Amino acid sequence: MNAPTDKGLERIAALAGIGEPRLRKEDARFIQGKGNYVDDIKLPGMLHMDIVRSPLAHARIKRIDKSAALAIPGVHAVLTADDLKPLKLHWMPTLAGDVAAVLADLKVHFQMQEVAIVVADDRYIAADAVEAVQVEYEELPVVIDPYTALAPGAPVLRDDLAGKTEGVHGKRTHPNHIFTWEAGDKAAADAAFARAPVTVAERIVYPRVHPCPLETCGCVASFDPVRGELTTYMTSQAPHVVRTVVSLLSGIPESKVRIVSPDIGGGFGNKVGVYPGYVCAIVASIVLGRPVKWIEDRIENISTTAFARDYHMDGELAATPDGRILGLRVQVLADHGAFDACADPTKYPAGLFHICTGSYDIAAAHCSVKGVYTNKAPGGVAYRCSFRVTEAVYLIERLVDILAQKLNIDKAEIRARNFIRKEQFPYTSAFGFEYDSGDHPTALKKVLAACDYAGLRAEQAAKRADPHCPTLMGIGLVTFTEVVGAGPSKMCDILGVGMFDSCEIRIHPTGSAIARMGTISQGQGHQTTYAQIIATELGIPSEVIQVEEGDTSTAPYGLGTYGSRSTPVAGAAIAMAARKIHAKARKIAAHLLEVGEGDLDWEIDRFKLKGDDARFKTMKDIAWAAYNRLPPGLEPGLEAVHYYDPPNFTFPFGVYLCVVDIDRGTGETQVRRFYALDDCGTRINPMIIEGQIHGGLTEGYAVAMGQQMPFDAQGNLLGNTLMDYFLPTAVETPHWETDHTVTPSPHHPIGAKGVAESPHVGSIPTFTSAVVDAFAHLGVTHMTLPHSAYRVWQQLKKSGVNL
Amino acid sequence: MEVKLDKRYPLDVEPARAWMVLQDVRAVAGCMPGAAITEQVDDTHYKGTVKVKVGPANAAFGGDIEVLALDPAAMKLQLLGKGADRSGSSASMNLTAHVEAGDTAATSVLVGEAAVIVNGKFAQFGGRMMSQVSDMLLAQFADNFRAAAAALPAPQAAPPVASAAAASGAPALSPAPVRELNALGLAWGLVKNWCAGMFGRRT
Repeated sequence: MNAPTDKGLERIAALAGIGEPRLRKEDARFIQGKGNYVDDIKLPGMLHMDIVRSPLAHARIKRIDKSAALAIPGVHAVLTADDLKPLKLHWMPTLAGDVAAVLADLKVHFQMQEVAIVVADDRYIAADAVEAVQVEYEELPVVIDPYTALAPGAPVLRDDLAGKTEGVHGKRTHPNHIFTWEAGDKAAADAAFARAPVTVAERIVYPRVHPCPLETCGCVASFDPVRGELTTYMTSQAPHVVRTVVSLLSGIPESKVRIVSPDIGGGFGNKVGVYPGYVCAIVASIVLGRPVKWIEDRIENISTTAFARDYHMDGELAATPDGRILGLRVQVLADHGAFDACADPTKYPAGLFHICTGSYDIAAAHCSVKGVYTNKAPGGVAYRCSFRVTEAVYLIERLVDILAQKLNIDKAEIRARNFIRKEQFPYTSAFGFEYDSGDHPTALKKVLAACDYAGLRAEQAAKRADPHCPTLMGIGLVTFTEVVGAGPSKMCDILGVGMFDSCEIRIHPTGSAIARMGTISQGQGHQTTYAQIIATELGIPSEVIQVEEGDTSTAPYGLGTYGSRSTPVAGAAIAMAARKIHAKARKIAAHLLEVGEGDLDWEIDRFKLKGDDARFKTMKDIAWAAYNRLPPGLEPGLEAVHYYDPPNFTFPFGVYLCVVDIDRGTGETQVRRFYALDDCGTRINPMIIEGQIHGGLTEGYAVAMGQQMPFDAQGNLLGNTLMDYFLPTAVETPHWETDHTVTPSPHHPIGAKGVAESPHVGSIPTFTSAVVDAFAHLGVTHMTLPHSAYRVWQQLKKSGVNL
Repeated sequence: MEVKLDKRYPLDVEPARAWMVLQDVRAVAGCMPGAAITEQVDDTHYKGTVKVKVGPANAAFGGDIEVLALDPAAMKLQLLGKGADRSGSSASMNLTAHVEAGDTAATSVLVGEAAVIVNGKFAQFGGRMMSQVSDMLLAQFADNFRAAAAALPAPQAAPPVASAAAASGAPALSPAPVRELNALGLAWGLVKNWCAGMFGRRT
């Protein structure tokens, strides 16, 4: 195609398609307070549910007395595990092949575990009734530390698994052991270490954190006893999977279960799982024949629904004296809490952790991940990242820094020496991932030049030379690779359902369109960006394309939105469905112009006769004709459905640089500069990408500088309110600078890779790299997250540089 | 969450009168702000309540107290208290307290060691203030204890120590009125102590 003329450019602009910084369609309702969230839903006759929770982390339930609660006027039901037993719903299967208690049966396994539910006329009565339920406990020894959990003679947490030595992923070697999963070639890795002249090792702890979306979890369950139909409005990132699970658990045919995810105020992995609250609200609605609403409060959200991380990693690198990495070995102890409710593709109990060779060409690698039960809430979701990718990237980026320090090689230089070279793509890693595309050296050069890296190093040297300098200056650098877009169904499934995604497009006679998707936006702006893909593919202005998601009764089956999979998987489904329509439109255009299909060229929004700009049919013309002037034998209408099973993952990458100044008196870390270059392949909407990156960097900053879920020896969670749990506001958030390169994915229909999670995955090790760098000249090689002022102050004291 | 307390409170009464108060579990409970004995089960077992309100953590503990040891010779009391609150907190305290002679015959020292374990909401919300709150609580307790001891008849009129231990209906002690620990007053106390600490540190 020739370069577009001015007229052509105008037509391209009118479409607001791929590459346009189109304003978000969602914002009109959100900024006016007209969003429709689960808690906005009020159904006639609706009752309210609240949950009685355990104050203890490990205890036997001796007695539950619900009489006082039932005596309160307005209380309709109090249900315990015993009430769920006849329905066999007191335990439920988890995504990870374990079972989780819906309501505590005989024993509580973590603090705030669900023990009973109360259903009442309003939330206030329900809260009062919760306090009136008397539960008598017999305290049991508590296990919080994952290493202690596997010690011989440690208290056994899961009585229900007694004698079960065979787990879903192989032998269980201890009553508190869940699985041991390995990847890579151990012999090759050991051999690399045996002959390597240089090795480094570090225990890298990634503490337990929580995604903490602004909207907590909740649902409104409404069972119609006459029709036998169940409708549930739910904060779910995967409504179709929830429908399947609900149908399997309840025995209600999937065709009579409708799950609706309305507007969702952030998910970040927290809203992937099926929680006891959902199950109980559904049971209560079925039992009482009335709608039942359950909305978590903040403390319940942070305490019980889906934590992330809690990985205790022993990592080692083997290298040559000039910093060429020869091998990687990792042993992880993964604290999964009381039930294994990790959200991972079925075959991968440690998710895609084996991306931990990162952006580097490492010939030999081996990792082993051991899952363990402790008296903490279950979960293990991917907090704004693909499955366990944050942990993997954190590990390799820390180890590379440590190696650079040991060899006294600059951290930018050592990375450049180990990059997978551009010509090596597609590159197969030692763990077997096939990286689709990348260009790390270009990205690194661009960032170093933009930030005047040499100048920063000179400034740092001058400051280090001055004993009176009130601050320590640190420079962090990370060159990460993510793996997203799960995933190819030959490798990835959830409960046996392949991880494809879907799109259904229907063009109306007047040329506007509706697209229905298997994903669900939680703030990603799908209504905006999905329409842009269709606009470019079909030449219809994105303004007249409606995007609908989240209602299982209307949307095609999809696996949902998490792990940056919407663009890599659903975005591809859109392009493929649009191309089916495009092919039919070409037939119609040829018929209308009375020429052969081969005589036509596609140009922006129309089919035109080759070499004759005056004879064309626009997509709008074709849409009308699709309903009245079709070629013989072609069925009327203009619509298509596509279920896209990706051939591979996509591998977004980036280079992040951070400069911090640490106050030697207080330990306060000031982020002076943060420069984020992302390569997510084809960029659909640069404005939305920038917003996503800002959000991801801010959440990365939160994790790096303050987020943590600390437990005391009795299993009390000491950080479950926003008084303790760090959620940065505009006051704390640093200024972000963004940049990009574009290396399209060769296997994706539009070359896009996904972007929302890269900034989270990439920024956390960058902050650590910067904070540790401030102490590097004092011999410090690693500091454990989070880098709060108090902890940094402790390091200042330890290093003897506190003012 | 576990807090270990190790306190010494000088008293301006002689050891005998201090022991008179300490050997009476009801009187001791009466000195604790917000606490009361509601029932005596047998010689060594009691039921009681403690109300505490600290910011968002509001607990009304009901539970059992067991006197583990009462040693008149050493003027030592050891007790174990265990309680739970309806809104999801539980607590236990293992307390050993004894009376020591003071610098002069007219003074004494109340020495206490306690391990307090709290669980649930109280630990979650009140956790970061636990040791400060305990300090405040015990300071109020010591004041009340002092007042209770001083209100007893003068030394020459006091019955011998040994018989006092056995007498359950002994002299009418006048414990401080039972009131729950005042949140606002306590918060102010904390702020005052914190400020004092801030300025005190540099001097």
